[in-house]
Amino acid sequence: MRRVLHLEKIFISQYLKQTMEYKADFIVGVLGVLLNQVLNLIFLQVIFSQVPKLAGWSLQQIVFIYGFALIPKGLDHLFFDNLWIVGQKLVRKGEFDKYLTRPINPLFHVLVETFQVDAFGELLVGVILLVMSSATVHWTLLKVILFIVSIPFATAIYTALKIGTSAAAFWMKKSNTITYLFYMFNDFAKYPVSIFNHLIRWIISFVIPFAFTAFYPASYFLTGKNVLFNLGGLVVISVVFLFISIKIWNKGISSYESAGS
Amino acid sequence: MSMIEVSNLTKDFRKTIKSPGLVGAFKSLIKPKYETFEAVKNLSFEVPKGEILGFIGANGAGKSTTIKMLTGILTPTSGYCRINDKIPQEDRQNYVKDIGVVFGQRTQLWWDLPLRETYSVLKEIYNVPDKNFYKRMDFLNEVLDLNDFITSPVRTLSLGQRMRADIAASLLHNPKVLFLDEPTIGLDVSVKDKIRHAIEQINQEEQTTIILTTHDLGDIELLCNRVFMIDHGQEVFDGTIKQLKNRFGHIREIEFELVNAEDANRLNFSQFGSAIEYSQNEKNVRVKFDSSKVSVPDVIRLTLSQVDVQDISVKDADIEDIVRRIFRKEAAEHD
Amino acid sequence: MTNFLRKYRPFVSAGIEEAIVYRANFLLFALGNTLGAFVTYFLWKAVFQSSTNSSLSGFTFPEMVLYIFLSFFTGILTSSDGSSSVGDEVKDGSIAMRILKPISFTANYFYEEIGSKLIDVGVLAVPLFGGILIYQIVGTGTPVLNLGNLLLYFFSATVAYLINFYFNICFSFTAFFFRNLWGSNVLKNALVIFMSGSLVPLAFFPPVLQNVLKVLPFSSLLYTPVMLYLGKYSMQQTISVLLLQIFWLIFFIFLAKIIWHFAIKHLSIQGG
Ligand SMILES: Nc1ncnc2c1ncn2[C@@H]1O[C@H](COP(=O)(O)OP(=O)(O)O)[C@@H](O)[C@H]1O
Ligand SMILES: [Mg+2]
Repeated sequence: MRRVLHLEKIFISQYLKQTMEYKADFIVGVLGVLLNQVLNLIFLQVIFSQVPKLAGWSLQQIVFIYGFALIPKGLDHLFFDNLWIVGQKLVRKGEFDKYLTRPINPLFHVLVETFQVDAFGELLVGVILLVMSSATVHWTLLKVILFIVSIPFATAIYTALKIGTSAAAFWMKKSNTITYLFYMFNDFAKYPVSIFNHLIRWIISFVIPFAFTAFYPASYFLTGKNVLFNLGGLVVISVVFLFISIKIWNKGISSYESAGS
Repeated sequence: MSMIEVSNLTKDFRKTIKSPGLVGAFKSLIKPKYETFEAVKNLSFEVPKGEILGFIGANGAGKSTTIKMLTGILTPTSGYCRINDKIPQEDRQNYVKDIGVVFGQRTQLWWDLPLRETYSVLKEIYNVPDKNFYKRMDFLNEVLDLNDFITSPVRTLSLGQRMRADIAASLLHNPKVLFLDEPTIGLDVSVKDKIRHAIEQINQEEQTTIILTTHDLGDIELLCNRVFMIDHGQEVFDGTIKQLKNRFGHIREIEFELVNAEDANRLNFSQFGSAIEYSQNEKNVRVKFDSSKVSVPDVIRLTLSQVDVQDISVKDADIEDIVRRIFRKEAAEHD
Repeated sequence: MTNFLRKYRPFVSAGIEEAIVYRANFLLFALGNTLGAFVTYFLWKAVFQSSTNSSLSGFTFPEMVLYIFLSFFTGILTSSDGSSSVGDEVKDGSIAMRILKPISFTANYFYEEIGSKLIDVGVLAVPLFGGILIYQIVGTGTPVLNLGNLLLYFFSATVAYLINFYFNICFSFTAFFFRNLWGSNVLKNALVIFMSGSLVPLAFFPPVLQNVLKVLPFSSLLYTPVMLYLGKYSMQQTISVLLLQIFWLIFFIFLAKIIWHFAIKHLSIQGG
């Protein structure tokens, strides 16, 4: 475990140095991501200037859900974004060879290789929103503990979906569009599921379970109800999806065909 | 005990068959058809510790595919290899600690970082202790002359510099086995020379077992005591360079220096048929022939009877000719 | 002629095949993006359900539905990324190859883009625009389909595409200064999405902000054609927004020329 953290540190610092080769661009990019989130908030503000409550939730509560959604999304984005590249080109161009000739777990190697600093835009806005709206939550010690515990599980759902879909590239050569299609469902996670129709509700709960990355856990903290489904479901779903996706990934590696050169 | 043991190694690739036309394109998008393609067939060989094995063959013969199986990148369809007492695919992470790999057409260096940084990341990945790392870097610097460009970002290196840097990267952790897949491809003579010397020195100092694939027979002649030749995925030869020359090396070359360049018009070797060919450059005429069909004295006698000659030199078989000849024959059989 | 066809047939079918695989990917991407439009749809649906008013900032629910999907479609129609490779080309030095070619730099990108653009739009128009039309005809309370508005929409959207093309050319030249376009791209996209009205109709903003945004070139990229389609403008307003669009088009054509001359003088290509 210490070695894992150590390697993570090394990779992060290298990646930062690499990014800093393009300093101006990098700073502008972080501003861009930040701005993107701020503009989305203005959008929410516009919506709530029309109605006091949305499907029974107040602006404060929606802001809490929205902020909660950004934390696992941002963490996954920050640490594990290199998975996109697997389905985009690493497998197709045979560049995945490199990971197989190094004495560390290839999945771990892929995961730690990048450190997507623009994710700080999401994380920063997420934290600000949570702080702003935390008064709506009736915090207890138990809730605080559960909150901290739920974040890594929620992050794992994002990462698991990316691992599973990018592993499809081992058979299909290119799979980033599939990852994209799955990933885009995260947009549904930021709002109460009750505003969606039954089909979408079912998909985002159990098939591409992004609702568990935000709305379900957040609604427990807001209402204190249904801890078994809202948080228990999160843990179960996240463990199951991570397990399945790692299985797919490992199976994929033994089907890896490299590329003729 | 041998360092590398390969037994009946086979690799099939699945290739999509493309049906022609627009309808075909749609069909293969929805329900692709496949055919299997045997890139490597039933290879078996062993390499003792400390040997440099030259792995040769034409383009597409299956060299890289074999190397990829030996390094654990590809899973063989059947057969196995055992290297350093490990099966690469079964125990990959452990296995790769003791090997180094260079693919000439790829790089494992961090593109946007100064070269030095790549080495410090690799040091961590391979868990090389500080003391060994500095000693090793000194050695590699000396052998491969990295100092001139070690602080430059990798993307600014020339091909030759990059290749030297890549070889150094594969050697940082002092591997027991080194796989070099076309390490001199596209390089000019002086860089090739530097790289050959480095490989030789590493092999001698560390008793590193090396498998080297190449197109360049100069590499083979300078470095390898043994060659293994494949074609269409199958073994066609395994032995020393000398044996290779004995087996296939009936090609002889005689160079005549004529008194008058115009005399060359009078040369006529038609009585020997297709077993002989010649080329002329001013006063020098090179005659190449198959010495199992035409004898050296006969060629000299005939030439002297036709033209005035100033000087004669008889050359030994050149491995390049041998390989080219075998391939040409193979190609003719497959056409 | 048949000889000619026979000779080039393999190339053509290889090209088609590649195009089909590429399109399949493109469609999956587009499908992914459509999800965003659906989220917005459900959100507004909830807003209208929670509200006591039947019309918000001048939009009825059916109009809002049309706005959401039409602005999504218009976004695809007018998008231009032919020049997005400039960043990479500057980074790896291959931009030099473009500069060496005896074709105008902009024309070069335009021809590269226009072919695939027509196919993409053609393929997407069927489900998207078809869906919009069906909704408009079958749905209750939807604005009546109006041929004049439809024509105005296509004219305005074409101008919007051209503005976007030249705007992106201008923008991509910043690669010469930033070296890598990723960051400025993120910033640009965030701003354009917001200010062009693709996130929220500009009518929902406070009047002062609205007036500023309507004059800026971004509203010409999306808001103008969509509002024309919905028939939200009077004759006089229609003429003035179209003139504004044309003004911005000319402006960016000239700007692109000026920046190009400037950039070529200051061109420094990184080693590669
Ligand atoms: N990843 C792959 N998928 C399909 N076919 C491949 C792949 N890699 C190599 N091949 C095919 O296998 C044969 C051997 O290739 P390779 O081992 O790269 O040859 P060499 O290195 O000797 O030039 C070639 O015909 C090549 O087209
Ligand atoms: Mg090869």
